[in-house]
Amino acid sequence: MKNVTGNESGAAIKRRGLVFYTKIYFKIIAQDIKSKMSYRADFIISTIGIIATNIAGFIAFIIMFGKFPSINGWSYYEILFLYGFSLISITPTQCLLDNNWSLRRYVYDGDFVKYCFRPINVWFYYVSEVFDVKGLGQLVFGIGALVYAWIKLAIPVEFLLIMKIIVALVTASLFMMALQNAAAASCFWIQNSFWLLDISLKMKDYAKYPITIFNDVFRFIFTFILPVAFMAYYPSLVILRPDNVPVLTWLSPVLGVAAFYGSYKLWMKGASKYDGSGS
Amino acid sequence: MNNIIELKNVTKEFKVLNRHEGLKGCIKDLFSRDYKIVRAVDNIDLEVTQGEIIGFLGQNGAGKSTTIKMMTGVLEPSSGNLIINNRIPYTDRTKNSQEIGVVFGQRTQLWWSLPLVESFKLLKDIYQISDENYNEMLELYGSMVDIETLLHKPVRQMSLGQRTLSDILAAFLHNPKVVFLDEPTIGLDVAMKSKIRELILELNRKKNTTVILTSHDMGDVDALCQRIVIIDKGNLLYDNEISHLKHFFGIYRTLKIRPRENVIEVANKLKDELYAFEVSITNDDTWISILVNEEKNRIMKVLEAVQETHAIKDMQLKEISTEDVIKKIYEGGVRN
Repeated sequence: MKNVTGNESGAAIKRRGLVFYTKIYFKIIAQDIKSKMSYRADFIISTIGIIATNIAGFIAFIIMFGKFPSINGWSYYEILFLYGFSLISITPTQCLLDNNWSLRRYVYDGDFVKYCFRPINVWFYYVSEVFDVKGLGQLVFGIGALVYAWIKLAIPVEFLLIMKIIVALVTASLFMMALQNAAAASCFWIQNSFWLLDISLKMKDYAKYPITIFNDVFRFIFTFILPVAFMAYYPSLVILRPDNVPVLTWLSPVLGVAAFYGSYKLWMKGASKYDGSGS
Repeated sequence: MNNIIELKNVTKEFKVLNRHEGLKGCIKDLFSRDYKIVRAVDNIDLEVTQGEIIGFLGQNGAGKSTTIKMMTGVLEPSSGNLIINNRIPYTDRTKNSQEIGVVFGQRTQLWWSLPLVESFKLLKDIYQISDENYNEMLELYGSMVDIETLLHKPVRQMSLGQRTLSDILAAFLHNPKVVFLDEPTIGLDVAMKSKIRELILELNRKKNTTVILTSHDMGDVDALCQRIVIIDKGNLLYDNEISHLKHFFGIYRTLKIRPRENVIEVANKLKDELYAFEVSITNDDTWISILVNEEKNRIMKVLEAVQETHAIKDMQLKEISTEDVIKKIYEGGVRN
């Protein structure tokens, strides 16, 4: 980072780059976690809650898919792989963008204006305020399911494959974040935007199934309109169907970055036209 | 250029949908392109020099907040020139924010569950305040208020007064050139009000910070401002030294009475009965307000006259409010 020294009053305001934001982010998060712990009962109950939710979801999954040895050519463990994959890829959205759930309320009450007065990026400042620790519980379950499926499917543990799965996970996370971010941003234009955000959350439930089990209409929607298929299916084909990877899979990392950037731009556009009514 | 703030012909218009009534109207609204233009701020000129404290007054919906939002870079003016510290706030929002501080009376900008000192440390990083300046500022705060009890208390556990105090301290922490204070003493008791006024005045003097203060409390304005700007219906109604106006709210006082009989009837009768006193009378459901010019008539005399013909349940004596001042300006009592 370059250090630009101002002439007046010796104040040196550095350009706020990636290093600056990363540093600030970790400081804010450390404080946030510290303060969450200070509501001790709340912290313990919500930790138990998230573990229970995950166990319940997992049991439902086993009961449902344990009955069928395969669905549409997808074996039980392959579906378990997708399940774990989608749990991991939802984690960044859950942990990092949790404050987006409250955006509607802030905008509606006029409280959002307070985020506009700091000399840092508004989106960053807003989402950095809350880090949802509960998301980490999900991550543990996701990794568990994925590793178990990996072993059962006898996929070799190779460096290249591991790199591939990491890229695939990052890609899927980007799509997931993009969808939630864009849905949250809609509140800058639409008064009652909660249902959009709610739908975006429900979408992750469809993400855990191979897209081939849906009919053509849904397949089209989930691929080109709501990028649900990119949240687990397309990226994980690299590992599960290495001989038959469609073009969309190879394109997905680029599309993921584009989708996330687009959702960020949309959010920022909304924030800049925000007029702070109600104060 | 000595002016820290310069507004020239600044206008802000909002596009508002013409709403129709009823369910049918609602459906119509969905597809309607029938907008009307509302002018929230209309052709305002304003110049402020470094170090001034300006009382920015106006009734609710007069355009105060809109003007402040333009100055802080949240809103873009529809037309006109707006320069803060040689910058256009809207296009240069980040840099503008570096040199302004904002406090909104009831909305804290501090991290809700953090102790104040942690919030300060985050602000230190965000505004890139040097260790030297930061420590110097904390030392200064220490000499003004009992900072030690505040620093280690989570903001959520603070009383409203402590929170407002903390918010003001946080707004001055990066030594901004301009601080916007919106209703800083709203909802506070008398002791806390005067404490906060003292703090603002001292910070203004020590740091030569320009302060733009909006308040409904004439007490705030009286204690802090040398100059008053009044905005009404988007127009600049008044911009002058406070001494000009002070004369005015010094001599006017409101006598509020609660009669035993029907309020409206009594109010109507009083309009005739008190004609000689040249007072203006208004009433709501329970109270009758009589604005008395004490230069012409003593308040006790008016009260006596009322009591002669009407039984009184309760009474209050009030200082003139911003609303009354504005009303008086409209009536032509004060020349700009």
